Amino acid sequence: MKTVNSEQSSVIRLRQRIVTPITILIILIVSIGIASAQLTAKANHDHIKIDFFYHGSTVSVSGVTDPGTDLIIKIASPEGHEKLKQKGKVGGILWMNTGTLNFEHVPNLYSVHSTKNIEELLAPKELDTYVIGLPALSRHVGLNPSAGEEEKARWFGEFVKYKEASKLYASSSGRIEIKEKDGRHTYYINTEWPYQAPPGDYLVTVYAVKNGKVVDTAESKVLVEQVGIVKSLSGMAKNNAALYGIISIVSALGAGFGVGLVFRKGGGAH
Amino acid sequence: MHLYLPVALTSINIFIPVGLGLAVGLLSGLFGVGGGFLMTPLLIMFGIPSTVAAATDSNQIVAASTSGTYAHWKVGNVDFKMGFHLLIGGFIGGLVGVQGIKVLNAMGNADFVIKMTYVLMLGIVGTYMFIESLSSLKKKNVTQETSPKKESGFSKLLQTLPLQTEYVKSGVTHSMLLPIIFGGVVGILAAVMGVGGGFLMVPVMVYILRMPMHVVVGTSLFQILFNCIEVTFLQAYTNHNVDFILAVLLLLGSTVGAQVGAVFGRKLKGEQLKIILAVIVLVVTVKIVFELTLSPSLLLSQAGGH
Repeated sequence: MKTVNSEQSSVIRLRQRIVTPITILIILIVSIGIASAQLTAKANHDHIKIDFFYHGSTVSVSGVTDPGTDLIIKIASPEGHEKLKQKGKVGGILWMNTGTLNFEHVPNLYSVHSTKNIEELLAPKELDTYVIGLPALSRHVGLNPSAGEEEKARWFGEFVKYKEASKLYASSSGRIEIKEKDGRHTYYINTEWPYQAPPGDYLVTVYAVKNGKVVDTAESKVLVEQVGIVKSLSGMAKNNAALYGIISIVSALGAGFGVGLVFRKGGGAH
Repeated sequence: MHLYLPVALTSINIFIPVGLGLAVGLLSGLFGVGGGFLMTPLLIMFGIPSTVAAATDSNQIVAASTSGTYAHWKVGNVDFKMGFHLLIGGFIGGLVGVQGIKVLNAMGNADFVIKMTYVLMLGIVGTYMFIESLSSLKKKNVTQETSPKKESGFSKLLQTLPLQTEYVKSGVTHSMLLPIIFGGVVGILAAVMGVGGGFLMVPVMVYILRMPMHVVVGTSLFQILFNCIEVTFLQAYTNHNVDFILAVLLLLGSTVGAQVGAVFGRKLKGEQLKIILAVIVLVVTVKIVFELTLSPSLLLSQAGGH
């Protein structure tokens, strides 16, 4: 991987880290080629806490960039396996579940934001190398039971629709703001973090692109975690299932009787 | 105001489940159905994963049917003996039905068989109830007399069965095998179709067991209560699919709805209740037929459960 060598930029980056620590919750910079890289990345919310009143969040990614480079920001969960029910036409007219499809090596959350359309920035081969964008992801994933290229592309398209419906897959181009201040170029993008994204570790990767090549990358992490009542309840549902079931039933019985008593006292019935 | 649901892993505006609970609880108190055939698809529509929707709904029905059974019991409209016999049958039927699903799955195309059975059942039951209650409403309006009960060959046959016993609350005498067998049939179908079966149990009690509609509603709720306790426990224990917070939000509405439904139901005649239920069942049938024939917006959905 090529990196831009500049001692001055390291100094600037260091200064930025010292000057603005208060406004930043936690900075996590894992630049590849730390000693020489110009590019930095940080997520303002690198620890999203799911509490009782959680309704999604926003994550902004920002950092220092080199003038004259384009940027692609990819936010993704680790790749995994998804088993989904497949609908198809039966007898030519009726839509129903016709089987299950297994998608392999797919991230549950995947969003790509870029300064320009990614196809203008990188050749398909480069996009495939870094798994940037849906066409590249489509070639990256596996489908089981396996199907022909056309069928696979069709079902991957349906998979993307399914993910987009719960806002887990998203993309944008031209929304990254690049500003110049005191000779330093910084970028910034604010993204919606969907409440549908489950707890886990998410990786933010920023690619600097010049002349059709990725010249630098920087990474940052976003950790999504349940806290408080949400954490205890979901933990109990999994680890203490019998007690959880009994509590659910007893609460329901109690509520039913309670409301029945209230109505009798309230004279609603005769 | 939004709350996060720890098992469904999604956030929901609290007015949605409370409102849905109120509406479905009302139907429950009025007609003696659990309302899963309405609640589960509505919850899925609002972003709850299908498996969590079904499991949590059964938890919520425990509360709604307790509230409804209590309201009907206060005015003497629950036949506990009949309910108990139906439960025995339902329990055995449930066990058989679960095996039946395995057989269907092994045969392949299980979904097709299940969906078709469901639509046919809903359609036949709805149509029959609608025609029957419409004609008896008309008859009463014209002649203003209660027609003498005709003894059909079927009912004569039933009287020859052993273990005849009197169900005092319902005012009928049957062999106790009858509710056990028909409870079993409904139990099998309910298990295979993945629904509570209230919409099948109510017609069985009205037309085969010849119980008065108001006692049917109370007794149906009583046996739904026990079924849903069992289902809730199994879902929580084996599938971890019950969302406690969602269930609480739903039952806030449904327990009140069931009371209101029970009070309101007393002001309606049995035939009026039957005809409204028939219309609801037919509307649900039409909705499912549309779902089956119109192109869905998403061709993939979460796997697991029904």
